[in-house]
Amino acid sequence: MGFREINSKMVEATVMPGQKLFSQRGAMLAYKGEVSFTPNTRGGQGGIMSMIGRRVANEDTPLMTVEGSGTVLFGHGGHHVQVINLSGDTLCVEADRLLAFEGTLQQGTMFLGSQGGVMGMVRGQVSGQGLFTTTLKGQGAVAVMAHGGVFEIPITPQRPVHVDPQAYVAHHGDVRNKLSTALGWRDMVGRGSGEAFQLELSGSGAVYVQASEEKL
Amino acid sequence: MFRLQGSKVLAVDMTGDAVKAKNGSMVAYDGQMDFKKMSGGGEGIRGMVTRRLTGEQMTVMEVKGHGTCWFADRASEINLVSLQGDKLYVESSNLLATDAGLRTGTSFTGLRGASQGNGLFTTTVEGHGQAAIVSDGPAVVLRVSSQYPLTVDPGAYVAHQGNLRQSLQSGVTFRTLMGEGGGEAFQIRFEGDGLVYVQPSERNTIAGDV
Repeated sequence: MGFREINSKMVEATVMPGQKLFSQRGAMLAYKGEVSFTPNTRGGQGGIMSMIGRRVANEDTPLMTVEGSGTVLFGHGGHHVQVINLSGDTLCVEADRLLAFEGTLQQGTMFLGSQGGVMGMVRGQVSGQGLFTTTLKGQGAVAVMAHGGVFEIPITPQRPVHVDPQAYVAHHGDVRNKLSTALGWRDMVGRGSGEAFQLELSGSGAVYVQASEEKL
Repeated sequence: MFRLQGSKVLAVDMTGDAVKAKNGSMVAYDGQMDFKKMSGGGEGIRGMVTRRLTGEQMTVMEVKGHGTCWFADRASEINLVSLQGDKLYVESSNLLATDAGLRTGTSFTGLRGASQGNGLFTTTVEGHGQAAIVSDGPAVVLRVSSQYPLTVDPGAYVAHQGNLRQSLQSGVTFRTLMGEGGGEAFQIRFEGDGLVYVQPSERNTIAGDV
């Protein structure tokens, strides 16, 4: 299984009986074989509780379940698609950036306030991500959308990486994030360099950054 | 040192030196970096006033530190230009980053600027070092030599460097006045010796409408 990149904006997934796939509703472009698409009212995995959790967290992007046997092409809005393979670690990503992911992955929501306290909440507000983010854990592949292509920056304990919140796409691994501010008197008088807020990611893992400062 | 990561991201490795970049174009960095806005493009009071008057304002920041800094601008394609004492003419909106050692200034473009749809003035970059310019789609670099002059659509022109003379050429005829023009009423003609950067997309210009 897994995703195969057809070009930079399209991925192909192979569906086999007994193996589920979740994708953003309406992201199917074409399919071959016997494949069924069922809207997922619960917006993902888990029971009623996680559905309520997602509603509250505003991370309930409409998803659909893809089942059957065949191949499916996914793409959405002409955005660049990046396939990330997970092997047991956790990927943090915004729900609206998720294009498709394998059913073997555990979906959950994370409260940003739990990482970094009050600054974590401020971080969510500043980066326009809200207070919650979606996590995917386990073995499998995820297809993530970004504007203008993605590049990966490795994070090592010696080298923390700073990212513009608007260009941040996703991160995986054992990474702590916090909002670092470089606010000075210049920003107060409107003479800022436009880089007043940055996400500081430290630990070990990788961060995915898009080549643009536009949200999806 | 400037290097491209893919075609849309510029990575700059710095060891205590500085670069000038478009305000807010940093997407990520590692190591230690300092960002400072330079009013008036870092050209002093005179440059600041000139830029205000000419409408070639650019908000530039100075990035200084140790490590790698990544820049990108709305997913547009990036082209690296290396300058050896010659002069690069580019629109301020198309200039992403320059080495701190390069001097920037403004110059009058005359009628050509108006036909390009971006004003009567343009930005110049000169000195020794590298600059990064952005274009809508991958730009082609066309060489102009004395035997081979080049004519470019004003809306697709991005930048030029070298010893070039430019003139505005008009193809306005009786048909254009009747509203039957081919949409290519004006062109810029380059003569001399140098390079012209052309993007595969056209800005909205007056010339494109007639």
